[in-house]
Amino acid sequence: MTDVTIGQPVRRSEDERFLTGRGRYIDDINLEGQARAVVLRSVYAHARIKNIDASGALAMEGVLLVVTGEDWIAEGFGPMPTKTAIRKNRDGSELSEPPRHCLAIGRVRYVGEPVALVVAETDPIARDALDLIDVDYESLDAVTDAVEALAPDAPQLWDDIPGNLCIDFELGDREGVEKAFAEADHVITLDLENNRVTAVPIEPRGCVGSYDPETDTYLLYNSTQNVHAIRDTLAENVFGIDKEKIRHIAPDVGGGFGVKNSAYPEPPLVLYAAKKLGRPVKWINNRSESFLSDTHGRGQTSRVQLAIDNDGTFRALRTETVAGIGAYCWTIGPFTPTGGSARTQGGPYDFPVMYYRSRAVFINTGPMDPYRGAGRPEATFQTERIIEYAARQLGLDPIEIRRKNLMRPEKLPHKTSMGLNIDCGDFPKVFERTLKLADPGSFAERAEQIKTAGRRFGFAIAPYLECTGGGPKEFAGVAFGADGTVSLSVGSQSTGMGHETSMAQLLAARLGIPFERVEYHQADTDKTPIGGGHGGSRGMELGGNAVAQAAGEVIEKASGLAAHLLQSKAADLTFEGGSFKDSGSGASVSMVEVIEASFDSERLPDDLEPGCLDTGSTFERGEISIPNGCHAAAVEVDPKTGAILLLGYWVVDDFGTIINPLLADGQVMGGVAQGIGQVLTENIVFDDSGQLITGSLMDYGLPRADGVPDMVIEYYEGAPTKKNPLGVKGAGEAGCVGSLPAVVNAVLDALKEFGVVHIDIPLTSEKVWRAVQDQGAHDPKGLIEGAL
Amino acid sequence: MPKIALSVNSQPVSHDVEGRLLLVDFIREVLGLTGTHVGCDTSQCGACVVHVNGQPVKSCTLLAVQADGADVTTIEGVSPDQGLNPLQQAFHEKHGLQCGFCTPGMVMTAMALIEDNPDPSDADIRHGLEGNICRCTGYQNIVEAVRTGAKVMRG
Ligand code: FES
Ligand code: FES
Repeated sequence: MTDVTIGQPVRRSEDERFLTGRGRYIDDINLEGQARAVVLRSVYAHARIKNIDASGALAMEGVLLVVTGEDWIAEGFGPMPTKTAIRKNRDGSELSEPPRHCLAIGRVRYVGEPVALVVAETDPIARDALDLIDVDYESLDAVTDAVEALAPDAPQLWDDIPGNLCIDFELGDREGVEKAFAEADHVITLDLENNRVTAVPIEPRGCVGSYDPETDTYLLYNSTQNVHAIRDTLAENVFGIDKEKIRHIAPDVGGGFGVKNSAYPEPPLVLYAAKKLGRPVKWINNRSESFLSDTHGRGQTSRVQLAIDNDGTFRALRTETVAGIGAYCWTIGPFTPTGGSARTQGGPYDFPVMYYRSRAVFINTGPMDPYRGAGRPEATFQTERIIEYAARQLGLDPIEIRRKNLMRPEKLPHKTSMGLNIDCGDFPKVFERTLKLADPGSFAERAEQIKTAGRRFGFAIAPYLECTGGGPKEFAGVAFGADGTVSLSVGSQSTGMGHETSMAQLLAARLGIPFERVEYHQADTDKTPIGGGHGGSRGMELGGNAVAQAAGEVIEKASGLAAHLLQSKAADLTFEGGSFKDSGSGASVSMVEVIEASFDSERLPDDLEPGCLDTGSTFERGEISIPNGCHAAAVEVDPKTGAILLLGYWVVDDFGTIINPLLADGQVMGGVAQGIGQVLTENIVFDDSGQLITGSLMDYGLPRADGVPDMVIEYYEGAPTKKNPLGVKGAGEAGCVGSLPAVVNAVLDALKEFGVVHIDIPLTSEKVWRAVQDQGAHDPKGLIEGAL
Repeated sequence: MPKIALSVNSQPVSHDVEGRLLLVDFIREVLGLTGTHVGCDTSQCGACVVHVNGQPVKSCTLLAVQADGADVTTIEGVSPDQGLNPLQQAFHEKHGLQCGFCTPGMVMTAMALIEDNPDPSDADIRHGLEGNICRCTGYQNIVEAVRTGAKVMRG
């Protein structure tokens, strides 16, 4: 009999090792004889490399190797291509993709771009040697703002890519929107910025690589979220070798949030150095370098327009975005501001028609790639901000107009003008439940008390709708051991979400076996033939369904053996509660006994071998699923100082079937905290010359324990999706999706008596204070006009 | 190279160290106690917190030579051979960790906090953990874990 069920808050198996310091993260891995690598990074945002003189470094004792871009090209290694799913411009032509090599070739295009790799006996020696490499740069004009980069006289990053334009994308019904705009009572316009931020997993990136000349194979340990896809890029695109030649393993990973999903230059450099030197090489990023070299996210400037009638009915939504993606397409840099942000425009509202246009633009900054939500937080932010803004402009109740326009369950399934197939959910029910939890009836008294103390109370509600993403296939393998252990290998990956527990829970519950017998494996290209890793809230949707499918196959196989043991026919057996039962004779045998029998030659029929119950199963997603829900936030703001305090936070989520509510809560809490961070303090800032101003944790404001409120979280489980057998919708990113507009709109609600209608995030005390001083003076067309 | 002698997790340790070696690197690389983590280079994150003479200290802010003669306790030193101590148990029960990278530092800071204040309010806990960044949990379950752990430890 099993001891776990689906839906149970099973405590995590991985906790003990993490709590006692026995986790094994990348920097805890040391290979015999390893050398240490560090990267020399560009100090210019844009410059020609006239010469690199590494002789001083090479002369230093303990320095083993210096690799430059010229060396790299001479080896014949290829660039790393983008894998964006969106590749076409509006006119049908292909996007512009410059070659991305692991080291700069002849020209640097952002501060932090790798210029050379130094390998030495120790990390301190390698770092000291960086200073002895003489790079002769000829500085060029740089542009770090995407709207400016589109101007005709802007510095050009790529000689063969005119206007710095990577892709000009559109989706939806442009003419339909124009018609609705002409007919509606009002068209409300707001330019807004979704500021550039970065994920900052607390474990910095790093890798350790080795090469075995006998087998001509590489071994790469890497703090990554995506071992298979990155292995493929390194093998097929960079080195031009069979992918089986690289074994890629992620040990315990200290957070990812999208930033560890990318194919970065350091791992191939490390593998190359390991082969060249004939010894393992280790590279660990430090935090300041992480800010320069990790991918960043969000960073969109948009004009959002809402056509709305006097009675509050939404008629149409149009968004035009400009997004700087850095100097390269990176892994899927062009995707987030285009397809990633387009699909969930309009959220759970009944918009008859929508149109989205977006341009991804090359700028002289480090790369952009997915950050938790990858476009859906941006879309929800655009949608919810324009609704709130319109309500304020037109004197409508922001809660009422949302209620009025939410899609009714009878309308589902419904395909939006963005092509998103919304299959199920009950948005009004989730909305009303969130409001009830927040208890707006109690606000008046509270607001009064707060006002007496010189501050102001604000509240906002933000329904959201998002979608899953990431690789569409997943593998789960189940192998039984004679000692009773069950090895489960899954191609999706946890970087903290707890799959070691939830996937094992799912398998144990389905098979009816003890939970602690399951040994979970992930993130190793030798353990699963394919794997989509982590990203797009795909863990349960892909990995979970693969596990469930594999469990089904095990049950199928086991029923044959059970029939043999019970001397019945497999067709007469039912499987329930972990036992096979013959409906005729009433005899039964448990899965645990069947597994035991599968290793007992006495009980096995002649045509079966030990291990006959093992299976490997590939699940393929039909269609992405639609997590949705509603967030609400209450804040107090001090108009004299601009300080913001979060008073309460409420969430109701529809993630479909919940496998483990404890872990789902953790995902929501963490995602909301990251959203709060972006709204209040997090911000990536470059100066005009392209230097990163917020290059350390002293300058980049992460939320701390005293800045995040307690949250009340509930789930609506009345609408499991039929898009996948488990009925799950994805839980990993939703916290980030709903929290941006909920918090911003609550702060603006608190400031309404001062006439403040809009402040671009982050809402620093200074910006809030200034907005109050300026009594809300604000140009709604102040950001993007020049680029339209 | 200066020689230092200190106690780490109640074991006497002595070693020649480079003057520029940080205590955290001494703990991790020389002693191989990898439960203490490095999350930043500006003493902001708290992943490296250990106890030095009973006080919680970010071990990236001290040179190893400054710990000469000190009594150092790391996460390994507060963990039972089997299972978890009461505060660790509370983190487990309350799901106060996800990726686990901040966790040893959190536990070390929280243990010192409870020692100082056996019955902390939520505000005390949040204030006390301000020097430890967690990017995964949103802190709520950590606060609950510390409150619960303190209660168990009060008996
Ligand atoms: S590593 Fe010591 S505070 Fe971050
Ligand atoms: S659990 Fe990941 S940083 Fe705290």
